[in-house]
Amino acid sequence: MSSNLFITAVYLALMFGAGIFFSRNIKNTSDYFLAGRSAPWFWIMGAVWATNIGFLHGYLAHGGAAYEWGLIQANFEWFQGPFGYILTGLFFIAFYWRAGIYTVPQFLERRYGNGIRTIYSLAWIFVFLVTIAAELYLGGMFLKNILRIPFWPTVFILTGVVGTYMLLGGLGAAIMMEFVQFVIMMLGTMPLLFILLRMVGGFKGITSTLIGQWGASAQYFTVLPDIHHPYGPGPWVILGQCLVVTIGWCAGHQSMVQRNLGARSLYDAKLGYVVASIPKTLGAFLYIVPMIAAPVVFSQMGIFVEKSDAAYGKLILHLLPQGMLGLFIAGLLSAGLSSIGSVLNSASTMIVKDIYERFFVKGKPDHHYFVAGRVATLGVIAVSLLLVPVVLKVYLIMWLEQLLLAMILGPFMAVLVLAIFWPRANTPGSLAGFLTGGVFAVLLQQVFGVDIFFQISWWSFVVALAVTFAVSLLTPPPRREKTEGITWQSNFEDLVGEVVENRALAGAERVSEVRPRTIVLPPWYLNVKYWATAILVGQIALLLFFG
Amino acid sequence: MNNDNASTNPKLIVAVQMLCIGIVLLVLGVAVVLSSPVKAMSPLFRTWSVVSNGSIILVGVAFTVGGVLRFRRLG
Repeated sequence: MSSNLFITAVYLALMFGAGIFFSRNIKNTSDYFLAGRSAPWFWIMGAVWATNIGFLHGYLAHGGAAYEWGLIQANFEWFQGPFGYILTGLFFIAFYWRAGIYTVPQFLERRYGNGIRTIYSLAWIFVFLVTIAAELYLGGMFLKNILRIPFWPTVFILTGVVGTYMLLGGLGAAIMMEFVQFVIMMLGTMPLLFILLRMVGGFKGITSTLIGQWGASAQYFTVLPDIHHPYGPGPWVILGQCLVVTIGWCAGHQSMVQRNLGARSLYDAKLGYVVASIPKTLGAFLYIVPMIAAPVVFSQMGIFVEKSDAAYGKLILHLLPQGMLGLFIAGLLSAGLSSIGSVLNSASTMIVKDIYERFFVKGKPDHHYFVAGRVATLGVIAVSLLLVPVVLKVYLIMWLEQLLLAMILGPFMAVLVLAIFWPRANTPGSLAGFLTGGVFAVLLQQVFGVDIFFQISWWSFVVALAVTFAVSLLTPPPRREKTEGITWQSNFEDLVGEVVENRALAGAERVSEVRPRTIVLPPWYLNVKYWATAILVGQIALLLFFG
Repeated sequence: MNNDNASTNPKLIVAVQMLCIGIVLLVLGVAVVLSSPVKAMSPLFRTWSVVSNGSIILVGVAFTVGGVLRFRRLG
């Protein structure tokens, strides 16, 4: 057995064993779906970032896109940090917490009603199923190409490992594994950047070779290309990506939000989300910048890359020595497993909380839903495995996922922003806005031929915002209980210990005990606002350097 | 919804998580070191291999110790 295969096997066995060991501490639905609300801020930081990074949204697909399109791909890291993570941490997470919810659709129901919750849940469950299938496919192909092991047994082993620890351990196991994966990705795969920079003569060496000798466009090295760029024109990156997609993803993606709902306090949830923007920003140095240096290295080594998605795998396979390559494989597997695990956990939570408990079996003891959660996890694994051959053979399902995301994120951002910042927004307005925005996104893509994702998201956001606003004004205002405690204008000084705690006590779904409220101010070095400011300053400096 | 079983002590959950994280990182780091032909590597790769594995093992040790201490504190 090669040392790379040995390291991969040890890594998978460790994940499997740790998951089983941890699962002995899971007693009820609060433990299973929200990790007993026990996670400190640094757990949240690692888990949120690891959730965000996978084969699909990380090393293989994003790295491949960077190889093809250049530094513009770093937008997903450098703009999602300040716009998505920090703004969500500072402005949105608190409202989810105060609503005492398990899922994002539950928040929409609290604020707007049943209809929007059902539509939103079903759309995301479909996206999650496709995501797991795509991640399994990419993981299987990656291991097949790099370790020369058969595709289907690899897929089943990956599913077995991640499925076991998720099935038994729930969110607590997911957060734990995601922190391990965070460390392995950061410390294990970061050396590639320094090795490549040394080989090509630093950033100057890359630009002088690609632009000076090969005549590549300067657009390859900018994060905000001009309006004619076919992949991500600068204005649409700012409007669609920064203001809509990144915030919608961070505040609306159940996997991202669920990690924060499992935090031991609101303060830990907010700080965890804000500081997660640091690894998010550094992520560009794990797989974007190395892939920009990759063409120079490939030419030095005389290697031809036929598909950009395969570029990262080919680079590490030909460059790294035994042992180090094994650690990289563990790092990449970490990315895939964390993504699969978090989506699996979120899909099962939404199936039980948003569908099963509402429409099929109401009012059963907690243990019933705890078992249902495990059965749902098993069901999601089975359906995802069945979808792998579909992802393998046709591109339609991936296209459908992209279309659904474009339909969801813009309208979701519109109704979420109005839910929190405009108490007058009501149920008919939100439903009309959400549906109109979604239909408009489809029309833009299918009828008007717009294929820039950020552009579709921006216009569907604007349309949903306008329709929600207009219909809400034309219909009666929402009842007081729909808005109290969960809008920006709520007077939390008066409400603390009254509305919020009463809501928690009276809530039919709240399972964890309400502890006496003691407000402990954090030390200055853990102040969320200081961290957010420092990260923003660092981010601006980074953009000025690479801009 | 009723709460049939009392939740696990959150501090115990964190202690178990720390211990598991520490052991996984420690064992993985050691496995990588044992299976890496460090002497045969060029200086550039050797340096980064040592830095990378060393830091993973260090984090592993820190979390293992932290987890054990938290367990002891819980009695």
